[in-house]
Amino acid sequence: MLELVGVKHRYAGRLVLDLDRFLVPDRSAVAIVGHNGSGKSTLLRLLASLESPSEGVVRFDGRPAAGERRRVTLVEQRPVLFRGTVRENIAYGLRARGRRASEIERQVSRVSERLGLSALLGRRRQQLSEGEVQRVAVARALAIEPDVLLLDEPAASADRAASQALYRALDEERRARPLAVCVASHQLEDAYRWTDDIRALAEGRLSPVTPENLFRVDLPGPDAGGLQHVAVGGVRIAVVSDKTGPAILAVPPTDVLVSREPLPSSARNVFRGKVTRLARQRGGVHLSADVGVELVAAITEEATRDLALAPGASVVFSFKASAVRVF
Amino acid sequence: MDFLGDGLRRALGLLFAGDPETYGVALLTFKVAAVATVIACAAGIPAGFLLASRPFWGRRAALTVVNTALAFPTVLVGLLLYGLLSRRGPLGGLSMLYTWQAIALGDVLLAFPIAAALSAAAVQGVDPRVRRTALTLGAGPWRAAWTVAREARFALAAAITAAFGHVIAEIGSAMIVGGNVRGQTRTLTTAIALSTSQGDFGLALALGIILLVLALLVNVALQVLQGRGDA
Repeated sequence: MLELVGVKHRYAGRLVLDLDRFLVPDRSAVAIVGHNGSGKSTLLRLLASLESPSEGVVRFDGRPAAGERRRVTLVEQRPVLFRGTVRENIAYGLRARGRRASEIERQVSRVSERLGLSALLGRRRQQLSEGEVQRVAVARALAIEPDVLLLDEPAASADRAASQALYRALDEERRARPLAVCVASHQLEDAYRWTDDIRALAEGRLSPVTPENLFRVDLPGPDAGGLQHVAVGGVRIAVVSDKTGPAILAVPPTDVLVSREPLPSSARNVFRGKVTRLARQRGGVHLSADVGVELVAAITEEATRDLALAPGASVVFSFKASAVRVF
Repeated sequence: MDFLGDGLRRALGLLFAGDPETYGVALLTFKVAAVATVIACAAGIPAGFLLASRPFWGRRAALTVVNTALAFPTVLVGLLLYGLLSRRGPLGGLSMLYTWQAIALGDVLLAFPIAAALSAAAVQGVDPRVRRTALTLGAGPWRAAWTVAREARFALAAAITAAFGHVIAEIGSAMIVGGNVRGQTRTLTTAIALSTSQGDFGLALALGIILLVLALLVNVALQVLQGRGDA
């Protein structure tokens, strides 16, 4: 188990990370979500022992993590490949461990097959797309068979299909051997695609608030028009999906329209409620309301003023059925 | 023009005739410059890595010293070394004054800051993720440094070239600690100065051409090495 205890980390005197405890259990899949600058990358670098915390300790199985660095590896956001071929890159960590040539060859074949890189082994970095570079970096990390794999924004340079393939490969690897994976992402949907253990990071601290507008549901199945009405708390949310069974619904706060009275519109989800909280964040306000279930809308400061929104004020939240994401 | 033309004709005559003294001077110059460059780079490049990649107390001051030393006048280095190596100096017992080793030592002092400062700049120019990635993949500090060096190979080769170019062309220190002794410590630059003062423009020009060819050959060799393989 990899853990941070009582960690505070500063850059030039500015506190960028403040965590009482952060655990990555064995064989777990953990996602860290947060906006850019929330401290995700710093947290990963501390977990990888690439930096030492200004205060506190990082431990691996109770021992100082710095001494166990070879058991943890990090794939950075926009990773760099070394000079040489894809094959040489994937073999890098194994060579650093002094492995035999036959073992290196076997391992390179295994991970390149898993990541769909077999045809690219002879290429050099300038012959690869950004997405391929990302996959090579993940393959290079998996080749050394770490106990913990840390990934910083792995889907940042990948399209949807490529990122799904990447997560599929990680799942396969986790099934094949004891591996904990910790992913940092600024996209909640990206995180929810493959794990339930989501930690929100804001301003360098773990946020006690659950990631916004996410609901675990049982989809009944679509009607003739492809629409489903799903019970969530005290409301029924209209969703466009052909899925059936357990799923996660996500309502992006930026897709929620806020008004004081119901407006005639195409939105299939219109809920009246009361404002419970206003949280000012970079670039706007996160308005929470109890509309039968707690929902959050992201609006501007100006809209907050114009609508005279304050805790206790009555409010109407509207969003289209097609705005609801289903995972 | 006749003066220049005559000089050039005499220079080519000396070169093609294989004049032993001319080529002896050239060989000694190359030997001194090569030895000094190897020693200066062997110490200067790791020093540059240290200055660029590890924070330590006094690092900024060390960088300032190294950068200032880049502009150190060669005659001043010669003068200081003369003080150290002369019979009454603290290193007088070594009897190194007026030997090629003394010239090489002066050249090492001149080339070291070039190797260190340019290597530091080369390492600082490498994406910091390269070193971090090497470390997180299990590389030790030496392998990580080698990986960084591979990425900075062009800039490091430029550092070696600049160090060699500086020492092969310097005259101040070589003249003071070498003494321009015929057949022993006469280098191309000191020989050029002497020939010019004696009015033997042809010999001076011939030596100048050899100096240029030597510098060119070393540059070409380094470029060939850099060009091997690609990214």
